[in-house]
Amino acid sequence: MADTARKSARGVAPLALSVKGIHKSFGQHQVLKGISLDAHEGDVISILGSSGSGKSTFLRCINLLETPDDGDITVAGEQVKLRRTGDGHLQPSDRKQVDRIRSELAMVFQSFNLWSHRTILENLIEAPVHVQKRPRAECILEAEALLEKVGIADKRNHYPAHLSGGQQQRAAIARALAMKPKAMLFDEPTSALDPELVGEVLKVMRTLAEEGRTMLVVTHEMGFARDVSSRVMFLHQGKVDAEGTPQEMFGDGGSERFRQFISNTIR
Amino acid sequence: MPDFPFIFDTMGKLLAALPTTLELFILSISVGGVLACFITWARISPYKLLSLPARGYIFVFRGSPLLIQMFLVYYGLGQFAVVRHSIFWPVLREPFVCAVLGLALCTAGYTAEILRGGLIAVPAQQIEAARACGMSGLLLLRRVIAPIAIRQALPAYSTEIILMMKSTALASLVTVWEVTGVAQRIISQTYRAMDVFLCAAAIYLVLNFVLVKLTGGLEYYLTPHLRARPTSLSAGLRPLPPPAAGDASHG
Amino acid sequence: MDQIMLLGFGTKGWGGMLLLGMVMTFLVTFTALAIGAVLGALVAWARLSRSRLARFGGEAYTTVFRGVPELLVIYVVYFGGSTVVTSVGQLLGAEGFIGFPSFIAGALAVGVISGSYQAEVYRGAFQAVARGEIEAARSVGMPTLMRFRRIIAPQVMRFALPGLGNVWQLSLKDSALVSVTGLAELMRTSQVAAGSTRQYFLFYIAGGVLYLVMTSLSNQVFDRAEARVARSFRGGLGRG
Repeated sequence: MADTARKSARGVAPLALSVKGIHKSFGQHQVLKGISLDAHEGDVISILGSSGSGKSTFLRCINLLETPDDGDITVAGEQVKLRRTGDGHLQPSDRKQVDRIRSELAMVFQSFNLWSHRTILENLIEAPVHVQKRPRAECILEAEALLEKVGIADKRNHYPAHLSGGQQQRAAIARALAMKPKAMLFDEPTSALDPELVGEVLKVMRTLAEEGRTMLVVTHEMGFARDVSSRVMFLHQGKVDAEGTPQEMFGDGGSERFRQFISNTIR
Repeated sequence: MPDFPFIFDTMGKLLAALPTTLELFILSISVGGVLACFITWARISPYKLLSLPARGYIFVFRGSPLLIQMFLVYYGLGQFAVVRHSIFWPVLREPFVCAVLGLALCTAGYTAEILRGGLIAVPAQQIEAARACGMSGLLLLRRVIAPIAIRQALPAYSTEIILMMKSTALASLVTVWEVTGVAQRIISQTYRAMDVFLCAAAIYLVLNFVLVKLTGGLEYYLTPHLRARPTSLSAGLRPLPPPAAGDASHG
Repeated sequence: MDQIMLLGFGTKGWGGMLLLGMVMTFLVTFTALAIGAVLGALVAWARLSRSRLARFGGEAYTTVFRGVPELLVIYVVYFGGSTVVTSVGQLLGAEGFIGFPSFIAGALAVGVISGSYQAEVYRGAFQAVARGEIEAARSVGMPTLMRFRRIIAPQVMRFALPGLGNVWQLSLKDSALVSVTGLAELMRTSQVAAGSTRQYFLFYIAGGVLYLVMTSLSNQVFDRAEARVARSFRGGLGRG
């Protein structure tokens, strides 16, 4: 199946994203204590952990929405240039590079964050036209195809406020896809949704995984982690506590703490 | 280098006019407040004969500049023989009275809208609850509606009275020499606009500061239910007596 | 009736003058609003800034110009401006007192006051923009300036619209005070007409009515603009 195909490809597929030794503190509180991750093209990595384990911060560091205190980030072979300031913190030294890398790593947020003053279609073409400077007509055609794909083509001229949460999140996923990203980062994409709307979003994400897209997914959806992802990473108190294929992790390969975590989560 | 003798001299002259500013302020918000109560009462009345004129009054006095209202009172009224021959003329010919009247008429329009806003914000269920206890009419207004409405209206009203403090400056244009009028006279004599401005501004800012503190204190005093529960008795402005003693004193 | 003639457009009528005064009032207010928009944006930016000095400066500006009588601000700008213009004139060899143009003085003074109110409007509007939407703009790689131009500014303008309507009304009424500089706007024209005909009541009522026409017309313009924005922009449904 798709799952085995992806696994056999892992050895040969080039690295889409490589992150090494990420540290991050907020004031005295150390949130991330050295986390590393390699994502090959086509990998779907689920990042699990209880709240406060640092999983969202980790994702935000990758997209440089937070600047890590220490560590290396390489996207498709290009290393993000960080320099150390006088007080010992890291800072991106090339803002243009940061913006370019961000446009290659599309982020899907827990709270959708669609731009409320633009229609759904305008939300989709905003970054391709203005950040990536691609021809508008071409972007519109692609955007329409993407809306078709996530099943909200009829909402193209609606404003975000007129859509349900599930529709908004599907639009946000389409917006991320419109940038033709090298990897997609999902930050708890279903946590803000009513239970009956979670399914429609997961279905879209499952389709994307089957297409072989590189995805990093911070989630609480155990079903998605077990059935869709190629790898599972369990964070605990800012460190990687256990890591492996879903078979290993949900079989007997995971750590004691992970087993406890899933027994508390799965009802 | 600031010219201190000049600044002290200016400050002295301006402070001498401060009582006039304060009198204008206090009289106009008092008269305006009473007037506003009647207008609000008429405005919320179900009878069109009352509510329409009140609506018109509010529209006119909020929609036109205060200066034109004040000139209308000061110059306009004296044009009519009826007014000049009435018993009110000795009072109405006084610029000070005209200024107070102009200010009061204007603030009444704004205050009426603020009071109405406060009344609208009184939750219907609480009025219902009072009716269920057998309250009605004035008792209902005095014990339940007015206290809630006043608390709701207080923040907007505190903004309004600061605007009124600034508006007293217009009295100088009908020859009442309050602080801004005196400042203008000094500026046109000395052409030292900035020094005089800073002195006068300082006076108004202190006045505003006092007003803000007073209304803030009043708001605090009137809204113990919105404050965080005091952790110790000394934390509250008006500590509640211990329950047992409280019961005894009311019993 | 004689009085109707006085308000008419004939040789003895003041109708034309009053209408011109209305136009002048509109021009002063409009210029003031534009000046206030620039000042207000700068002050709002200072108040939202991370620099303590900028925050203090911004706060001082709004406190002073919202707390001091409008008339006093007009005096300081008019007389202060004249002093500056006169001394510059003397440097260039001119003699005697040179008055500061009253239109500029009036628009500047009302603009400075308007700026202090607009600053608060813009600040509130900026804070109403959802943080997540700004973050989303960062996450797709929008540079700072583009983020401001394409995501922040349009939303700030829409959130600011009701507040700007209020500021416009306020400035319209403040502009009447510019009459003390002798500028022939609506208030001044009413005053001159009233004085020279001795028909005080008639002309102040006429002036007042014309102000009411202006305030209610502009009210409608803003209401309509707000309704248009509300239709497309904010639905009641849950936003994240």
